[in-house]
Amino acid sequence: MATYVLAEFESGARMLAAARRVRDLRVGDLDGYSPYPIEGADEALGIARSKVPALVLVSGLTGALLGYLMLYWCNAVDYPINVGGRPLHSYPAFIPITFELGVLFASTASFVGLLAFCGLPRPHHPVFDVAKFRSASVDRFWLSVRTDDVGARSKIESVLADEKALDVAVLEDEA
Amino acid sequence: MAATGQTAGPRAFVLEADPLEPIALIEGRYDDRSLTRLLTRFVLERRGFGWWALFLPALGALGLFLAAVAVTVFIGVGTWGNNIPVAWAFGITNFVWWIGIGHAGTLISAILLLLQQRWRTSINRFAEAMTLFAVICAGLFPLLHLGRPWFFYWLFPYPSTMRVWPQFRSALVWDVFAVGTYFTVSLLFWYMGLIPDLATLRDAATSRRKRILYGIFALGWRNSLRHWKHWRVAYLLLGGLATPLVVSVHTVVSFDFATTLVPGWHSTVFPPYFVAGAIFSGLALVMTLIVPARWLMGNKTVVTLKHLENMNKMILATSWMVAYGYITEHFIGWYTANRYEHSTYQDRLTGAYASVFWALMLCNVLVPQVFWSKWARTSVPVMWLVSVLINVGMWSERFIIIVQSLHHDYMPSQWYLFRPTWVDLSLLFGSMGLFATLFLLFLRYVPAVPISEVKELNSETAAEGQLGAGQPEPSGL
Repeated sequence: MATYVLAEFESGARMLAAARRVRDLRVGDLDGYSPYPIEGADEALGIARSKVPALVLVSGLTGALLGYLMLYWCNAVDYPINVGGRPLHSYPAFIPITFELGVLFASTASFVGLLAFCGLPRPHHPVFDVAKFRSASVDRFWLSVRTDDVGARSKIESVLADEKALDVAVLEDEA
Repeated sequence: MAATGQTAGPRAFVLEADPLEPIALIEGRYDDRSLTRLLTRFVLERRGFGWWALFLPALGALGLFLAAVAVTVFIGVGTWGNNIPVAWAFGITNFVWWIGIGHAGTLISAILLLLQQRWRTSINRFAEAMTLFAVICAGLFPLLHLGRPWFFYWLFPYPSTMRVWPQFRSALVWDVFAVGTYFTVSLLFWYMGLIPDLATLRDAATSRRKRILYGIFALGWRNSLRHWKHWRVAYLLLGGLATPLVVSVHTVVSFDFATTLVPGWHSTVFPPYFVAGAIFSGLALVMTLIVPARWLMGNKTVVTLKHLENMNKMILATSWMVAYGYITEHFIGWYTANRYEHSTYQDRLTGAYASVFWALMLCNVLVPQVFWSKWARTSVPVMWLVSVLINVGMWSERFIIIVQSLHHDYMPSQWYLFRPTWVDLSLLFGSMGLFATLFLLFLRYVPAVPISEVKELNSETAAEGQLGAGQPEPSGL
């Protein structure tokens, strides 16, 4: 059974300072919460580079390729119509739809990829059990530590108190 | 973005070196809590009767639209004024006009995002919503024009029992893909930007019903910085994808005309000329909408005169692009030394629709020139009036391109005038009702100014020590 230690901070800078110190304890998984993206979070929390761009590139190219093949197969292979003697494989006329389908696939991948990498939609998460956590989308900055080590709790809490956390909550994650 | 004052050189020098941001984009001092309250107020708290005063007429116009649609569907497109040779008339004019309007939304949200224009922040959500609803209005017109709209799915390549496939060498099929993709991408872009703000609404809401409803649409967003990382990248990528898309959509629309042989249509200037006109008309509609909306919603400190002035500068610039398009179009018409082209452009200046042509010149070229004056750019009544006139002018431009060119093609024996019927006019004005209804519902249920982005901007300007920013972070974030 894992334990969440949640702490509320006045500012992003304080939250990140606490995050750096808790991270050095190496006791569990860290996450920060803030009403908007803040500078320095990647380094303080150890957030890796996002994989969304790679997914978008692959999907966009796939969409364009599949689109072109579809156009070619429909108009040149399965249902060839002679329009004013123009070639059946009229590639300049296939460019617009190829482009549009590439963009369509890439954009959809960027949206779906965002949700997938974030693990959303997820209507409930243990952090929501703390009523005050609602301030994370308004004006407060929260830090969470998920740990399996019961003994580490006191160490974490002393660091959080030292960094002037406004409030500290401890949750048991039943999952 | 890091605070520029801390990354290089003495602070004063860096601030002076940034002439693009001389005035604060948020007036007054706000912290995150008061900004949240300001921006969610219209959605979460009691509203005055101003909203209803606009919503009821919009519903009335929507009723008119539905009546005209019913007549069109049950009796047929014969109730429109279309004839041969003017087979496209109002239906396609309205389509081109509406779809063009959408383009400014994507311009503001995507292109200005890539160019790091911070003033876009307060108005981008608003402009994106306008795009979505304009594309919905636009899409309905070709659909109704089909005559049998219930067969619209024939446009898509699906394995049908008739064993035929769409003819992809036709520009009209390109339109289906361009508009369909444009709507989908605009919706995703809008919704992605909205997710964190829906979470803010969920958390700031006082009633249980609102908390559950906004909670569902927020998809469980919990403001995790790990999620913000993906969100930022994905949002920027969508902006990057929407930018070439927006240029392609009106280009494809212009191909509907440019790939034909009709005098007045058969011209290579059409794609850039259409895109410029699209952005011009969309900026004008943003202005037409934002002036009453910022009054209605009481967020003038976030949507400031500075924003409106920047928009007016863009209107002035795009007005000249459109003017250049007109000049090129007429010059090339003359330079072709083709008597049919000559005849068409002669008729445009002096023929049956000359009054519409001169009205569009007045509205699109002459009137926007008042924005050379700073007084006009910052006078709310003037800019609103100008924006309405530009909307009229741009609709007239689409009308002239379509109806005037078609009614006067190669064979004088085929020349025939187009006159709109009451169904045509009801569809045009009714579609504005549809748009207004959707837009007012948007203002009421969704935060029209992006909350998280404005707070981020506010904290950045605070860090840079600019006028009007909130309390700076203690340790200089």
